Amino acid sequence: MAQAELKEAVTENDVTLSHQQYLTFMLGGETFAIGILAIKEIIEYGQLTEVPRMPDFIRGVINLRGAVVPVIDLKARFSNRLTEVARRTCIVIIEVQSGDDETQDIGILVDAVNEVLEIPQPDIEPPPSFGAAIESRFINGMGKVNDKFVIILDIAHILMIDEISQLAADHTESVSPLANNEGSDESSD
Amino acid sequence: MDMDDALQTFMAEGHELLEDMENALLSIESDPDNEDTINAIFRAAHTIKGSAGLFGLNYLVTFTHVVESVLDRVRAREVAISTDLVALLLSSCDHLTDLMDWVARGEDDVSDSLARKSLGIEENLKVFLDTPVAGAGEQVSADSSAAEDGHSADVDADEPPVAEPALTEKDLWHISLRFGPDVLRHGMDPVSFIRYLATLGTIHHIETLLDAIPDAGNMDPETCYTGFEISLHSTQSKEAIEGVFEFVSEESQIHILAPDCLQEEYIRLIKALPEEDMKLGEILVRCGTLTHRELESALQQQQSSGNSLQPIGEMLVEKNVVNSEVVNAAVRKQKTVKEARPPEASLIRVDADKLDNLINLVGELIIAGAGTNILALRSGQSDLIESTETLSRLVEEVRDSALNLRMVQIGSTFNRFQRVVRDVSQELGKDIRLTINGGDTELDKTVVEKIADPLTHLVRNSMDHGIEAEEVRLAAGKPAHGSLMLNAYHDAGSIVIEVSDDGGGIHKDRILSKAIEKGLISENSAAAMTDKDIFNLVFEPGFSTADQVSNLSGRGVGMDVVRRNIESLRGTVEMDSQDGQGTMARIRLPLTLAIIDGFLVGVNQSAYVIPLDMVVECVEYGAWKESDNSHCLNLRGEVLPYIRLSEYFETQNPGHSSERESVVVVRFGDSKVGLVVDRLMGEFQTVIKPLGKLFNGVGGISGFTILGSGDVVLILDIPSLINDAGTLLYQTDRQAMTA
Repeated sequence: MAQAELKEAVTENDVTLSHQQYLTFMLGGETFAIGILAIKEIIEYGQLTEVPRMPDFIRGVINLRGAVVPVIDLKARFSNRLTEVARRTCIVIIEVQSGDDETQDIGILVDAVNEVLEIPQPDIEPPPSFGAAIESRFINGMGKVNDKFVIILDIAHILMIDEISQLAADHTESVSPLANNEGSDESSD
Repeated sequence: MDMDDALQTFMAEGHELLEDMENALLSIESDPDNEDTINAIFRAAHTIKGSAGLFGLNYLVTFTHVVESVLDRVRAREVAISTDLVALLLSSCDHLTDLMDWVARGEDDVSDSLARKSLGIEENLKVFLDTPVAGAGEQVSADSSAAEDGHSADVDADEPPVAEPALTEKDLWHISLRFGPDVLRHGMDPVSFIRYLATLGTIHHIETLLDAIPDAGNMDPETCYTGFEISLHSTQSKEAIEGVFEFVSEESQIHILAPDCLQEEYIRLIKALPEEDMKLGEILVRCGTLTHRELESALQQQQSSGNSLQPIGEMLVEKNVVNSEVVNAAVRKQKTVKEARPPEASLIRVDADKLDNLINLVGELIIAGAGTNILALRSGQSDLIESTETLSRLVEEVRDSALNLRMVQIGSTFNRFQRVVRDVSQELGKDIRLTINGGDTELDKTVVEKIADPLTHLVRNSMDHGIEAEEVRLAAGKPAHGSLMLNAYHDAGSIVIEVSDDGGGIHKDRILSKAIEKGLISENSAAAMTDKDIFNLVFEPGFSTADQVSNLSGRGVGMDVVRRNIESLRGTVEMDSQDGQGTMARIRLPLTLAIIDGFLVGVNQSAYVIPLDMVVECVEYGAWKESDNSHCLNLRGEVLPYIRLSEYFETQNPGHSSERESVVVVRFGDSKVGLVVDRLMGEFQTVIKPLGKLFNGVGGISGFTILGSGDVVLILDIPSLINDAGTLLYQTDRQAMTA
């Protein structure tokens, strides 16, 4: 069973890694990259509506031409520190699988977007097993660009709807005014 | 592809017909002499058979044929309506539904078990066919059923002509038949007229005219579209031939041309015929102006000369086979016939997706309109403001009528329960009568579809557990027959559906002991529970009070599913009961699922929408500030629990305190709650956007909407807020008690 899962994960990685083009962006002073195939568009940070009782990394929802799109703060997801909104803050709209045939758009909040570039396969190293700033299961690989490493994110993994909604539900439970006092410990996240 | 569409239509209509048939069967039991009902049943079976024949669904045709034959005898008063017969016909109905479902799976032949079942029911039905009857009707009925054995819609056209040597060419009558559209509705089968005609002589040739049949989507299977051109060898008089069609003569076009008639008569006939797009030569042949031999020789010549482009009509004129005047009349006919199309039917079947699309678009229109309104107000141009106001009024009307398109009456869903009640009461050996009220109450189609299952469960539950056995009822001084009532009405922006019975009611103590036994509640909390809370325990998962498990209910699965299904429609369900008097389950559902009128309120920097239908009133909060920590207000002597939205949603409030807080009193069902907000921002049309997977767990919120300014705001989930307010109140009480 575990082996099968591993195998599946590997093939998934292969597919993701075969994208040769990546969007690089800044997040908390570090450079990250994601494959461009999943990206629908990049928009300026605009009016965002907060949704109460959500974990911090779910910043809220925006109106994307009539559709309501949730926005996730990647920095908060990785490090529990909120992204501060500045002049170059952007929202990258990404299409993720949310079911068998369904897709959902999710926005991710980034400090700034840099460029779209090609990282050839040989320049991509496997993710380090420890020492990275973020959990290694979120990393697809380390890409070498101009002798510097950029972290290539496994965006499908990070934005796994089921996992996020589970986190959100757990959080809601713990902050609900109905919950008993012992449950409202926020650091449990 | 077209055939698939047609099949879809056939399925939909077939199911409707079966439903009608079932309803008619249920009502005929109590009123066996109602001819209209008998005819309705017959027509339903007949139409299904006919349409099934069109699709070549032989197993349906064969089975329905037997049903129809029995019904035919019923119609002819040769077989009396009896409970057995109705039961048998009802099971035939069910079997037909099964067969239809099989058709939907797109397989050519039925499974063995279904085929066996068909045969079984057919055997039983045939008993009614074989019973002898008084009077001369027997012969006729036997004839017609025998005659119809081989009949499916297309057989008639190629009946083999039987030559009778005694007759000569000059006895060849030409009969042109166009059956009126209502012939089938009046219970008459065109085929039987033709069969009767055949007894007067020999049908030399018959052409079936199907040109009037619209494409399957628009076709009404109860309407007769067919016409026939018949040439008949007969020595009978014109009166005798006319007599054949006496019953349909008023509504149908019937032209009978004597063997020796003049060419002018033929021309007149061509002018009178409603057909279009027919090949000229064919018209002529069908009119009997030409014999087949003449046409064949014309065709042969056409082939041999290789001039295949020359129309048969011209060819015939060249050959002087027909008078050119006749051809010209036919040509004129082809040109003018398009103007005389039949009027459209008053009902249109629309794809549900198209409707959804329209409603989505209307939703976008409302949002865009609200944006325009804001811009207009900002510009300060009075004429612009005026025109946008007109526009938004129109948009509102468009919204209402678009939403109305999806509204259907709940009556058809209710009527289905006549059957359920009949079957279940027989199974249980109880005499139970169903009363239906408010069947014309309208609600959204999706809601209607999804409410049927929970309703069935509640109805069965009432019959099984609620209504007592006859002896018990009589002992309690109640009438021997139990009553079940389905009631629907509109109330405060929602629709209420009640399922009530006059049975024994719910025993509180039994519920409590059961709930404690199953660990659903503790003994302590049981003491604090209100009657309503106790009754509603039946909706908890894993709860069942029936001492006996029957195959109907009592396995403890179901009531929680009922509640879940209803809640997924944003509705609620609750139980009410009077010991010894009966039980009532009350379902409350929102009217629509897409667009509502909303009331916008502000809390700190955020805005929220409250469904306007649920708002009772708005009052100033200031007057009650002193009683702040009781979570309760005194509203004109009434205890009103309240929720401070800023606390509830934990919106950050850095040192900000609004001067004029307001309380919005909202109501859902019997409960009221006050919501403390900072600002009241007025009402506006709200397009509900679903929360989506990510936010499904958020309490107190039922969806998003987009304001005219483009901002996303949250729609409050009032039922869950009311629920939470009750719990908050309870907790505060407890804290106050322990302190």
